[in-house]
Amino acid sequence: MNAVEFTNITKKFGDFIANDNINFNVLNNSVHCIVGENGAGKSTLMKVLSGAYIPDSGYFNIYGEKKHFKSTHDAIASKIGMLYQHFMLIDDFTVLENVILGNEISKGMKLDFPAISTNLNELIELYNLGLDINKKISELSISEQQKVEILKLLYRDSNILIFDEPTAVLSPYEVDKFFEIVNKFKSENKTIIFITHKLKEVLVIADCVTVLRKGKKVYEAGKNELNIPALSKAIVGEVSHRNLDILREDKETQTSALKLENISLRKNKIIVLNGFNLELYNGSIHGIAGVEGNGQSDIIDVLCGLEKKFTGKFEPATLRTGVVPDDRIKKGMIKEYTIGENMILKNYKGNFINHKRLTGISEYIITEYDVRVSDIDSPMQSLSGGNQQKVIFAREAESDSEVLIFAHPTRGVDINATNFIHNRIIEQRNKNKAILLISSDLDELLSLSDTLSVLYKGRILKTFENIQKLLAEPGGNNKLVESVGKLMLGIE
Amino acid sequence: MMSVKNKKNILSISLSVFATLFITTLLLLIIGKNPIEIFGLIFQDVFASGYGIGQTLLKATPLIICGCGLAICFHASLFNIGAEGQLNAGSFAMAIIALKMSGLPIYIVLPVSIIFGFIVSGLVGLIPAIIKIKKGVSEVITTIMLNFIVLGIVNYLLLDFFAVKSTMRTEKLADNLLIPKLSEYFELFQGSSLNFTFFIAIILAVAVYILIYKTKFGYKLRAVGFNDTASKYIGIKNNKIILLAFFLGAGITSLVGLNFIMGYKGYFELGFSNNLGFTAIAVTLLAKNNPIGIIFSALLFGILDYGGLTVNQQVPKEIMFVVQALIILSIISIDKIVDNYYKPKK
Repeated sequence: MNAVEFTNITKKFGDFIANDNINFNVLNNSVHCIVGENGAGKSTLMKVLSGAYIPDSGYFNIYGEKKHFKSTHDAIASKIGMLYQHFMLIDDFTVLENVILGNEISKGMKLDFPAISTNLNELIELYNLGLDINKKISELSISEQQKVEILKLLYRDSNILIFDEPTAVLSPYEVDKFFEIVNKFKSENKTIIFITHKLKEVLVIADCVTVLRKGKKVYEAGKNELNIPALSKAIVGEVSHRNLDILREDKETQTSALKLENISLRKNKIIVLNGFNLELYNGSIHGIAGVEGNGQSDIIDVLCGLEKKFTGKFEPATLRTGVVPDDRIKKGMIKEYTIGENMILKNYKGNFINHKRLTGISEYIITEYDVRVSDIDSPMQSLSGGNQQKVIFAREAESDSEVLIFAHPTRGVDINATNFIHNRIIEQRNKNKAILLISSDLDELLSLSDTLSVLYKGRILKTFENIQKLLAEPGGNNKLVESVGKLMLGIE
Repeated sequence: MMSVKNKKNILSISLSVFATLFITTLLLLIIGKNPIEIFGLIFQDVFASGYGIGQTLLKATPLIICGCGLAICFHASLFNIGAEGQLNAGSFAMAIIALKMSGLPIYIVLPVSIIFGFIVSGLVGLIPAIIKIKKGVSEVITTIMLNFIVLGIVNYLLLDFFAVKSTMRTEKLADNLLIPKLSEYFELFQGSSLNFTFFIAIILAVAVYILIYKTKFGYKLRAVGFNDTASKYIGIKNNKIILLAFFLGAGITSLVGLNFIMGYKGYFELGFSNNLGFTAIAVTLLAKNNPIGIIFSALLFGILDYGGLTVNQQVPKEIMFVVQALIILSIISIDKIVDNYYKPKK
């Protein structure tokens, strides 16, 4: 039996066709992966299924029954639940309060807390979510917050669960745990639609894969027919020939650009940095591996001069830093501004600016950084995630910063844009910038870093020098991955 | 081609004005008045004579000035409700310094007293800015409260030290220190107190427009208004922007005194501003914080204000406050409606 049958779904935004006559079925009680680049139409299709968008034509069947959702409430009533990339939680509410919000069980005028608590704790135990329902959201890590969102879906008794790039915010270890939960869902007779960029995850978890490209379905395969070359070809289409692999130049003498010694920092009485040491060299990429929430964002704040209440030594006292922050919409850009307007906030000499100059700057960035945009004057929010990231990257790379910090530079970014950004990071290194690369993607860290440190509970556990040499040794890759992995989890 | 944003703004502003007129018409009908007659009277009184036009422009002048100051704050998402206090402090300082310098030529007195007034207003504006930066207290609360404190201090200083006996005003400035009235040059405005401050207000509006939309500072200012977190990470010194926005914004409100003290009456008088600092909030909101738009919305409010006086015998003057409040309510709600209309359709 099919849980969902998409039939001729078409969804347009103006002239732009986000979903072009899409047909495919999702088997009941399966994990169905939907793969594709940014802007391929995955999220649009899921928003259609969750009732947030109404398709221009076409329909879908849910368990064989034809449905026309007019709002997200209709989807919830049909037991479809969506886990969004951006969580919708109230920081000052507890887990319990967040979960029941909008769906409260009451006894007369009063909420029936005992009944709700029992219900939630049963769900937490069944799916091994490991949450404390009385904790406030602000006390939880990102992965725990994600579990709260999942708990919400379970509490509403959703049978078809849509996960929109759920692993983007998780460390490798947390991804494994997450997959255990997904498998548990399957064993409880639920259907999972899983959107991702990462092929490795598809191979591990998928029962069936559908690939979208430019709004069309281009590939479909069951678990047994899967092969990576065919899949990646379907996703990428024609590989853009701009993707030159920039060579890593050898650097002989290295000058220190920045030194942090014994930095400690408390936030709300919690120790977030605990004797943190770091030295960055010009022309070198220093990677920081670690599970998220071990002090990464605090390091960035200290380096950028946004956090000053730390103890320890920071040299030199003044430093021009550029940062590509971890959350591009909240921290990275002014979404109401155009490309040019975002650029001039950092890289503009002179005090006056007019439209012609702005257009010139935008055009330069669009050609130089391969940004895809339909209208040069449109605001950043109308760009796809990968293109937004390229603009933010461009702004920081074009600035006269001595130190560049890249936090998850390719998170939620498609393969082409990822290659592009990786090349450009190497290019910045060759230009003798000192680079700090913070990421939860171990592949990214290994392929880019000269030096790699593992961060755990606000301190560096271990630093590996000459990463590229280590990787070149036979079996070097596996050895390195294993020891870094263990350190990240604090096992060693 | 017009951008979507401009289209949106023009649509929502015209709809708001239309909605306000509509509701006002209903109100007039309810109190048993003939709306056509009332609107006709206003129209006639405002536009039929040079005097009417002059008085309307005179009413609009301080609104343009104050609105420009507020626009700077509003663009940085600083909801400055304290213009009333700020402009009183600066205007008072301006009057006192000008009085102390009487005997000196106008080209010395005028710039010195303007700068002095500007700085005093600006400093009053810095108080909420500093409290916001240091303690994170919303400027809405501090600016409202500061109005009372500042007006109290001005009141005390004026009555105890500077007022002419048994009045609530300072002495009058010497005639040679006053800004010339337009009627001295144009027969048309005979009898009206419209003075050259009106042109200063227009130049100010253009200057503030350029500052906000055509300078790097303006882009940073609005960036902080849109997203202060991102601004921080981009490397903008948010606190500096907040301080500057409040200093400039509040400082500009002091120029209101130029119109009243230097151009109209020749002295500072308690309560001269007559809630101008609050009316200017409505003017600025209606213009979507755009200084050029503020000229036009100030003119509209000028018409309402002067027109309200002329129909006072038919309808209570207070109906004009109702109209002003209606404009704010309509612009806020119609904005949302227009926004939704322009959103990509589901």
